[in-house]
Amino acid sequence: MFVQKTLTRNPKAELYYDLVELFSGFLLVGFLWTHMLFVATILLGSELFNNLSAGLDKYYLSYVGIPFIILVAFMHIFTAGRRVPTRYQEQKIIWRHAKMLKGTDTWVWVFQVITGVSIFMLGAIHVWVVVSGWPIQAMTSAERMHAFWWFYIILLILGEYHAGFGIYRQFVKWGWFPRKPIGYISKLITVIILSLGIAALFVFYTMAKGGGIV
Amino acid sequence: MSKRKLTFSIFRYKPQEPDAKPHMQTYQLEEEMGMTIFVALGRIREDQDPSLMFDFVCRAAICGSCAMIINGKPKLACKTLTRDLPSTITLMPLPVFKLIGDLSVDTGTWFRHMSLKTESWVHTSKKFDPKAIEEKMDNETALEIYEAERCVECGCCIAGCATANIREDFLGAAGINRVGRFMVDPRDERTGDDYFEVIGSDEGTFGCMALMACDDNCPMQLPLQMQLAFVRRKIAQAGLKAKTKVVTL
Repeated sequence: MFVQKTLTRNPKAELYYDLVELFSGFLLVGFLWTHMLFVATILLGSELFNNLSAGLDKYYLSYVGIPFIILVAFMHIFTAGRRVPTRYQEQKIIWRHAKMLKGTDTWVWVFQVITGVSIFMLGAIHVWVVVSGWPIQAMTSAERMHAFWWFYIILLILGEYHAGFGIYRQFVKWGWFPRKPIGYISKLITVIILSLGIAALFVFYTMAKGGGIV
Repeated sequence: MSKRKLTFSIFRYKPQEPDAKPHMQTYQLEEEMGMTIFVALGRIREDQDPSLMFDFVCRAAICGSCAMIINGKPKLACKTLTRDLPSTITLMPLPVFKLIGDLSVDTGTWFRHMSLKTESWVHTSKKFDPKAIEEKMDNETALEIYEAERCVECGCCIAGCATANIREDFLGAAGINRVGRFMVDPRDERTGDDYFEVIGSDEGTFGCMALMACDDNCPMQLPLQMQLAFVRRKIAQAGLKAKTKVVTL
């Protein structure tokens, strides 16, 4: 028995951490997939895209949604992030262990940590750039995509990877479905969203070229 | 058909020898019909190097003593046939457990700690009457208990677990499975609160990140994903309802 541990022990703390990790993760995946569907409306024309953006603004959904998602993202970083090995030796153990075991799910997790940290940095830049160039308009988005297409491809792949495998892992963890089918389904959704994202990116890129911005 | 020549690269280190340094040592051996890693190790010790340390007792995947890392995967040496492996075979001791020497590790201390921590016995207020007829249990429950009890405590799930490799206090699949076994046992009178107290933390069920190396590598093919998830759901429910006290001065 240690005094410092007895005096600070909250038996439910780690239960709440785990539940916050679960629900914040679900919300972020839901957000990301909806976000990509909204972006993909450009495939149906820039008028629809602009109307959707204006509609979200009109009903204050963007002004409530963006700060809310940032808050949820921080909750996710603090709860899921507690599992990230921070000490040098721990990181070396995990790296050695993953190489030795060659377990798919272990490697997937290693990359989830890497993608998670990267999304934190790139996502922050993305939010800053979009918010400072408010409102969202097809033409301004096209300009951004044209100039920084590589940035958006990297962020898209990192985000979809992290979300797709994150949701897979939660289903595995809580056992609502067996591993194999849930793996196929989450991979399928990820591929669909990725294709939509890349198609939208392509449309924006050509729009900027055709629109005489170049 | 000519016999294969097998090359074994084996981890050698005796921590109790002051000048010893961990290193890999190679041995060569001719493969025989139906050869297991356990048989091969016996050959090496008999014919080539009597100082090689490794554990075994039953040779039939019942005792769980001969678990080791075979070409990167935790497996039982007695259940692994050389014909299923390439001709170069690397053997390492299980991580997480205390190294005794070479391939021999002390799983006993770890499992004893886990058994005590999870209080692995039926908690009942009923007095045992040796003359009374035994109470009946329905077949389905008995089978569920038996499924979890098939664990041979070899330690493969612990060695394969990334969390257990960096968190010494993590009870791992073996520990969580053990609690699951008592949760379905109608004779055990422990409540959700009691179970939550034992494993409702990152040391227990919430420490699991679901990397499923336990599920992939269990030599007894225990349904560990579903068992771990079952315990996680039960413990989360119990925890949300539990009346717990936070010490304040």
